[in-house]
Amino acid sequence: MDVKLRIHRFVEGKKWEQNYIVTLKTGMTVLEALIEIKEKQDPTLSFTCSCRSSICGACAVRVNGNAELACEMLVENLVKRYDTTELTIEPLGNFKVIRDLIVDWDPKYARIKKIKPVVQPKDEFSKETGCKQSPEDFNKYKKYAGCILCGSCVSECNKNTLNQGDFLDPFVFVKAEKLVADSRDKSPEEHLKAVVDAGLWRCFNCQECTAKCPKGLDPAGAIEKLKEATFKKGLDDNVGARHAKAIYDDISESGTLDESKLNIKSEGFLMAGLRAPMALRLMRVGKMNPLDTHKVNPEIETIRKIVKNAEAAAKEAE
Amino acid sequence: MAMEISRRTFIKGAAAAGVVLAAGTYFAWDGKNIPEKVKTGDVTYDVLVIGSGGAGMRAALAAAERKELKVAVMTKLVPTRSASTMAQGGMNGVTGVSDPTDTVESHVFDTIKGGDYLCDQDAVEYFAERAGQNIYEMDYMGYPYNRQKDGAFHQRKMGGHSHPRASYFEDRAGHAMVHTLFEQCLENDIDFISECQMLEISMDGDKLNGVIAMDMRTGNLMGVPAKSIIIATGGYGRVYWVRTSNPYSSTGDGIVAGMNVGIPFKDPEMVQFHPTGLSANGVLLSESSRAEGALLINKNGERFMSKYAPERMELATRDIVARAIATEIEQGRGVGEGIHAGVYMDFTKIPAERIHERLGQVYDLSRRFAGVDITKEPVPIAPTCHYSMGGLEMADFHTGESRVKGVYVAGECSCVSVHGANRLGANSLSEVLVFGHTAGDGAAEFAKANSYVGNQDSLAKACEKWKETFDKATTRGREGNKSVPEIRDAMINTMWYKAGVFRDEAQLTQASAELDALDKEYEHCYVGDNSHVYNTAFEQYVELGNLLQISHAIVQGALARKESRGGHSRRDFPKRDDVNFLKHTLIFKDKETGKYRAEYKDVVITKYQPKERKY
Repeated sequence: MDVKLRIHRFVEGKKWEQNYIVTLKTGMTVLEALIEIKEKQDPTLSFTCSCRSSICGACAVRVNGNAELACEMLVENLVKRYDTTELTIEPLGNFKVIRDLIVDWDPKYARIKKIKPVVQPKDEFSKETGCKQSPEDFNKYKKYAGCILCGSCVSECNKNTLNQGDFLDPFVFVKAEKLVADSRDKSPEEHLKAVVDAGLWRCFNCQECTAKCPKGLDPAGAIEKLKEATFKKGLDDNVGARHAKAIYDDISESGTLDESKLNIKSEGFLMAGLRAPMALRLMRVGKMNPLDTHKVNPEIETIRKIVKNAEAAAKEAE
Repeated sequence: MAMEISRRTFIKGAAAAGVVLAAGTYFAWDGKNIPEKVKTGDVTYDVLVIGSGGAGMRAALAAAERKELKVAVMTKLVPTRSASTMAQGGMNGVTGVSDPTDTVESHVFDTIKGGDYLCDQDAVEYFAERAGQNIYEMDYMGYPYNRQKDGAFHQRKMGGHSHPRASYFEDRAGHAMVHTLFEQCLENDIDFISECQMLEISMDGDKLNGVIAMDMRTGNLMGVPAKSIIIATGGYGRVYWVRTSNPYSSTGDGIVAGMNVGIPFKDPEMVQFHPTGLSANGVLLSESSRAEGALLINKNGERFMSKYAPERMELATRDIVARAIATEIEQGRGVGEGIHAGVYMDFTKIPAERIHERLGQVYDLSRRFAGVDITKEPVPIAPTCHYSMGGLEMADFHTGESRVKGVYVAGECSCVSVHGANRLGANSLSEVLVFGHTAGDGAAEFAKANSYVGNQDSLAKACEKWKETFDKATTRGREGNKSVPEIRDAMINTMWYKAGVFRDEAQLTQASAELDALDKEYEHCYVGDNSHVYNTAFEQYVELGNLLQISHAIVQGALARKESRGGHSRRDFPKRDDVNFLKHTLIFKDKETGKYRAEYKDVVITKYQPKERKY
C-alpha cells in the first residue's frame, strides 16, 4: 500500500507543503518513512533523530495535528487510526521552526532554568555518602523522572498557544513536581514559588499534554499536584489559589457557586472592581443578577459527603 | 470520543480568539543555541567539551567547580539526545549497600576477566576505586535511584559480575543520568554550544588553537578558541549502520578529529556484538529474553546452540552466542535476506503472562518493529554492534589527557583501557562518570596552569578551508556519482560481512581495498542540499567521512591482531595468543599521506596474570 505524506516544509523563510509517496512496509515507523524520503527521494528534507527507540526525545513531530514520537509511531497504525492513506506531518506546535521539522529548543531550556531545576539536598546528606530515601518516597516522584524532553506535551498546549510569556511548558511542570515530591530536597518551597510566579494557576486544564505524552507521565496531573502542594506549603496567597479556595468554600457550604462573589474572593475588591464593565454586560443580558440570594442546593448533605469522601481518598492516595 | 472532540474544539476556539494560530511558530528564531560571545569571537574557553552525553556533561560539571574558569559543552544535537540515554542496566560501583561482601578487588577482577585480559590493570584499579564514590555523588546531584528498605540506593547484579553493584533507575539508568547531569549544567549556568557540528581540532605544531565547528542553524563556520578540549563524542557503532543498537549520532566524529591531530586510535578492532538485535533494525532485545527462557532456532527448526555451547545453550556469553548465530546465517540456516538475515528467537514456551510481566519492552519492540507477537510466534533476530571498546588513547588515566597536550578524552570515544576486549554490563556508565570527572578536573587544572598558546588566524584559515569543502560538496550535481547513503550502504556491507562478528586475513584485506575504493567515491559523492540552514545532508556527509576513517582503523587493527580475544574473532587465528598479543593496537594516521599504521603497546599487568576465560 502506498501512503502519501504531506510534509510542511520551511527552508530559509520559504514555507510550503510537499507531498511524498512511500510504500508501506511492516514495522515502518514515521521516522523510517522520513529517512527513506531523505535518502531516496529528497535529500533536502530535514528533521532530527538519534536513538530511534523512544528514549532520546529528538524526533517528535506532529502528525495530523497530534504530537507523536516519529521513531515509535507506526505508519500503518496512523493509517488505521485516521482511516486514510494521506497523512500530514508538521513540526511540533508552540516551538519556533528552524527548518522543515526541526524546532528551536533554546527558549525551552531557559524556561527550565526558572524553576531551579536541581535537588537541594537536605543538610544531613553529603556528596561523600549520598542521600537516604525510602522506597515509598522514591515512588512519589519516580514517574516524573521519566520525562525525555521530546516536547510532545507542549505541542498542542492551548495555554501556550494563547500566550507563552506567562506560563511554562507542561514538561517544566513535570520537572518541578519531580523536585517538589523528592524527599531529598530541603526546600520544595523554592521550586513551588518559582512555578507559581511562572504561571502555575494559568493552566487551561485542557489535558492535551496528558493525552500527548508518549511516556504516559500525565503533565496535567503534575500541575494539579503542584497546586495542591502550594496549599500545604502556605503558598496560597494568589488569585489562582484563592479562586480554587472560593469554589471549595461555596461547594462545601451551599453546594452551588456564588458567581457574583467568586471573582471578588479570587481577585480582591480592587481588581474585581476593574471588571465592573463585564459585570454590567452580564447583568444586561441576564446572566447575573446582583439581587439574587445565593441559593443552597437541596442536596447539600450529599454534596458534603462527596467532598468528604474525595478528601479522604486523596489522603489515602498519599 | 464525541465529548472529547467538542471539548477540545471549544478550547481551541477560545485560544484561537487570542492569537492567529500557526503563524506564531514561523517567527524568526533567536539563535541562542550559541552564546553571543562565541559568535563574536570574544571568548577563549578554558575547557571546551565536545559531546553532551554522560561523559561530556560530567566533565563540564567537574571543570566548572572552579568558578574562575570558562567552560562550555558543544554538541551536534541538543544536550539530551546522546547514546548515554539509551543505557538500560545501571552503573557499577562498589558501595556494599546491597551486598556488604562486595569488594573493590572483586570489581577489578571481574572487569579484567570480562575484558579477556586486555584491560590495563592499573587503570581498572583506579576506575573501580572511584566508581562507588561517583555513585554517591550522583545521589547528591539528584539522580532518581531505585531504593531499598534502609533508604540507600539499591544495587543489582549484572552479567559477568560476582556481586550486585549496579545502581539504576528502573530500566532507564542512562536516561536518568543524562537528565540529572543536564539539570545540574543548567543550574550551574554552563555554556552550551548546541547544534554545532565539530569538524576538526585545530593545531599549529603542538599548540592547540581550538576547534572548528559548523553552526547547523546558519551554516556559519566558527573557530572556537580553547586552552584545553575534552573529546567526549561517544562510540562508532554506526559503521555497521542498521546492525547496531547505537543511535544515528554514534559516528566517531571525535575519534577522527583526534586521530587527525596525532592521537592514536587504541584497539579499534574491539567492538562488542550483542547477539540479539532485531533483524529489522538492530534495536536491542534485552539479555533477559534468554534468561527468561527464550530459545534460539534456525531455519530448520533446530535449537542450534547445542552445537556451540551444549551445556549453557542460550545462556552462554554474549560473544559465543553472537558467533553461533552468525555461523548459522553464514551457512545458510538463517531466515531473511542480506543485512537483515537472522535466526528466530522463540518465546512461545514462556507463559504469556510472564512475558507481559517481565519482558514488556521486548514484547513492545518486537510487536512494533517486526510486527511479531512474541507470545504467538518467534521473532527474527541477529547480532548487533553494541559498544566500542576501542577509542582515542588516554595517555594518563589520572588526568584524562591524551598524548597531545591540552587534548583530553573521556567516555566511549576514549580507550583507557578499562574494558579491554569486552565490556561488562553497567561498566560503561560508571566509566563515563569516573573518567568524565577525571578528565574535567585534569583539563581544568591544565587550563589554570597554562595560558592560551593558540593562533586565532589559524582558526580563521581552517574555517575558510571548510567553507570551500561545504560549497564544493553541497553544490555538486548528480552525474553518475553515488549519493551519501549509497556509499554508506556499501560501507556497511563491507564492514558487516568482512570485518564484523568474524574476521580473517583474506576478507580483511579485501575490506581494506573496498574501503579505499569507497574513499575515492566519497571524494565526489552527491550531497544534494546546498542550503546554509540546518543542512543535515551535509552533516551526514561529514559523518560518513568519519565513519569511513573509523572503518579503515577497525580493519587495520583487526588485520594486525592475529588472534581471537573478546569481541575480536579471527577465523584463521581462533585462539587467544598471550605471547604475542597481550598488547594494545595503536592505529596512527599519517598527517601527510593519510595512511594508517599500527604500533603496539604492552598491556599493563599488576596482579592478575592472564588465565583462560571461563564462566
